[in-house]
Amino acid sequence: MREVSLLIPCLVDLLLPEIGVHTLRLLRRLGVRPVYHREQTCCGQPAINAGYRKQARKAARHLIEVFEGDREIVSISGSCISTVKHRYPELFEGDPSWRARAEELASRLFELTEYIVEVLGTEDVGAAFEGKVAYHESCHVLRALGISEQPKKLIRSARGTELVELKQADLCCGFGGEFANSFPRISEAMVKEKQDRYLESGADLLVLSEPGCLLNIGGYLSRHHPEKRAVHIASFLAGAGTEGAN
Amino acid sequence: MRPATKAFKAAADRELDDLASRALLSLFLQYGSAMRERGMGTFPDPAAALELGAAIRGEVIARLPELLEEFERNATARGARVLWARNAEEACALVVELARERGIRYVTKGKSMVNDELGLNEALEKSGVEPIETDLGEFIVQQLKRPPFHIVGPAINIPVEEISDLFMEKAGMKAPSTDPVELGYAARLFLRGKFRDVEMGITGVNMAVASTGTIINVENEGNIRFSKSSPRTQVSVMSLEKVVPSMDDALHMLRLLTRSCMGLKITSYVTMDSGPRKEGEIDGPEELFIVIVDNGRSRVYADLKAREALRCIRCGACLPSCPIYGKIGGYPYGWIYSGPIGQVLNPLLLGLGETRDLYQACTLCGSCKASCPAGIDHPALLLEYRARDAEGGRALEGGKRRFGEARLFDLWALAVRRAWSWNLGARFLRSILNRNQREGVISSGAGLLSGWFLCRDLPALPRRSFHELARELEREEARPE
Repeated sequence: MREVSLLIPCLVDLLLPEIGVHTLRLLRRLGVRPVYHREQTCCGQPAINAGYRKQARKAARHLIEVFEGDREIVSISGSCISTVKHRYPELFEGDPSWRARAEELASRLFELTEYIVEVLGTEDVGAAFEGKVAYHESCHVLRALGISEQPKKLIRSARGTELVELKQADLCCGFGGEFANSFPRISEAMVKEKQDRYLESGADLLVLSEPGCLLNIGGYLSRHHPEKRAVHIASFLAGAGTEGAN
Repeated sequence: MRPATKAFKAAADRELDDLASRALLSLFLQYGSAMRERGMGTFPDPAAALELGAAIRGEVIARLPELLEEFERNATARGARVLWARNAEEACALVVELARERGIRYVTKGKSMVNDELGLNEALEKSGVEPIETDLGEFIVQQLKRPPFHIVGPAINIPVEEISDLFMEKAGMKAPSTDPVELGYAARLFLRGKFRDVEMGITGVNMAVASTGTIINVENEGNIRFSKSSPRTQVSVMSLEKVVPSMDDALHMLRLLTRSCMGLKITSYVTMDSGPRKEGEIDGPEELFIVIVDNGRSRVYADLKAREALRCIRCGACLPSCPIYGKIGGYPYGWIYSGPIGQVLNPLLLGLGETRDLYQACTLCGSCKASCPAGIDHPALLLEYRARDAEGGRALEGGKRRFGEARLFDLWALAVRRAWSWNLGARFLRSILNRNQREGVISSGAGLLSGWFLCRDLPALPRRSFHELARELEREEARPE
C-alpha cells in the first residue's frame, strides 16, 4: 500500500484538528496509507516572520530530521510548504549541508490537492456537496506554490457542486499571522472585503486550502455572518464540515 | 520632505476612517490592476517580458559602479557635465549653485521622486529661487503642500472641486469648473507663460543609458519635454540606480515601465537627450548638467541582500497590486515612496529603527513580487529587514524590539524541538484561551491577542489536539470506515 507522511500545521494541530482527521480519512479513501510522525511540531514560520532566524533554524532542523526518511509528504497548508521550500534555503544560506537536506526534503513535499491531482492522478475523490461553492485563492497556495487549478478541478468533480466565480479571489484575506493581530484595523478592512465578495458570489460555501485564511475568514464570518460557512478543502472533499451550509 | 514613517498606524487609521478615500482606493485598485493586466497582455509572452526585465535590472545591480562610470564617460563625450552628489545636502547645494551663478529667479520642474527625496524645492526656495512644478499632479500637491498619495499619480485622491478652487486662486482660472479639459487648459495657460521665459529646467531621469550617455524621460503631459527644451540650462537629477547598460535594455525597460504603470504600450512623450544642443542643431539646451545622487544608496549597494531594492524602476505596479495600500493609500508610509516599494526602500534609506511598521505591515501575500517588472522579491526583503531588526544588526540600524519578544522565541525554540514539551505548551495555551469560550467560540481575549478579537472570533480550542487524537486514528485504520 502506498504510504504518505502527513505534515500537520501547528494551527491545525492545536485549533482545527478536525481538518487533519478529514485529510487522513480522505487519503485512506483514496487507497493511500497516511503516516503521522508524532515528533512533529511547527515549521518555524512564526519565528521567521517575526525575524527570529536563529530560533527558526531549530524548528527547521527538527522538521527535517522528522521527515527526511519519508518518500512522500503531504501538507494542508500552502504557507508551511512554502516555508520549507522557499524560506529554509534562506535560513541555511551559510550551511550547505543543512541547505541540501532542506532542498532534498522540499522536493518530496506536496500540497494536498496537488498530491491528489498530480501524484495520485485523480480528480474525482467521491466528494459530494449539493450547492454552489466559491474558492478563495490563498496567497501562498496560489503565488508561492502556483497551485490553483488542482483544487478547482477537485471541487468541480464533486457531485452536485457548482463552482461559482469569486471576484478578486486572489486578493489576500488579511491574515498574515501576527499581522492580523498587530494591524487589526487594516486586517479587518481586508477580511471584510473578502467576506463581501463571498456574499456577493451567491455561493453556499467558501472553500479554501489554507488553515490561516480559514481562521481569519471563518473567525470574521462567525462574528458577522454566522450562517455562512468557510471550510478547508480537505474537509470539503472528505464530506465533512459542510452541514448546514445550504 | 520630513519622514513621518513612525506615525504609520495613526495615519492608516485616519485613512481607514475616510470613506471617500476608501471608495477611491477601491476603484483605483481594481482599475489600476485591470489597466496593467491589459497592458502586459499586449506582450507576446508577458512572463518572458517580466523575466527579461528582471535580468536587465539584475545586471544593473551586479555592475552598477562600472555602468555609472561608462555612463559618465559617454555623457561627457557628448557634451554633458556630470556632477556627483554624495547626499541630499550636496545635491541641493550643487543645483542651487548652478541657479545662483546664472542669476535665475525661477525654475520649471518635471515630476521627479528623487528631487522630492532631496528636498530640492525647499532648498531652492530658501535661496530665493522659485521652483514651479509643471506636472499637473505635482503642481496640485505642491500648491496644496501635501505629500504624494501615489508615486506616479501624486494627486489622484484630490477631489476635482478642490482643484477648481485651487486653480482659481493660484493659476488665474476665471470661473469654477469641474470639467477636466477646462482645468487642464487653465493649468496649461499658466504653465506656458512660465515656460516661455524660463532660464533653467530641472527634471528627473527615468533611465540613463551607459553605452550612449543618453538620459530618457517618460511622461504624458509634455511638461518635461518643455522643461528640457525651453530653457538655456537643463539640470537632470538622477539617483544612481537609474542607469541601464544599453539602448536595447532601455527600450525593453521602457516597454515594461509604461505597461506596468498605466497599461500603455507607450506614453505620450518619451524624450531622449544625448548631450546639449550641438553646433548646427536648432533646439535643445545650451548646457546640460546631470546630477547623479547617492544619498545612502552606495551603502545599500554594499549590502548584497539590500542591494536587491535598487532594481526598482519606479513604475508603481506594486501599488495597486498591494491589498494593504488598497486600504490605506499612500500617506501612512510617511515619505516619498509609498506602497510595497516604500516598504522596501524607506527602511534602507531612513534606517530600520525609523520604519519598523513599514516592514511589519505586510501579510507577505506576494502580489507585489508577482507584478514587479524588475525582479524584486519584496516579501523576502521585508523578512530580511525583520531579521536584521530582531538580531540588532548594526548595518541597517535595527535592533530595538519589544522587550521580551526574543526571550519568548527562545522559549518557543526550546519547545519546538521536542514534541512532548511542545504539546505541554499547547495544553497550557489551550487552558488560557479557552477561559473565554462560550458555546465553542472565543470572542475576546485580553493582552496579546486583543487585535485579533477586534473583529474576529476564534473557535474554542478542542479538547484534544491532532497529536492527541493520532493514536486513536491509527487504531481506526484497522477498521473499515
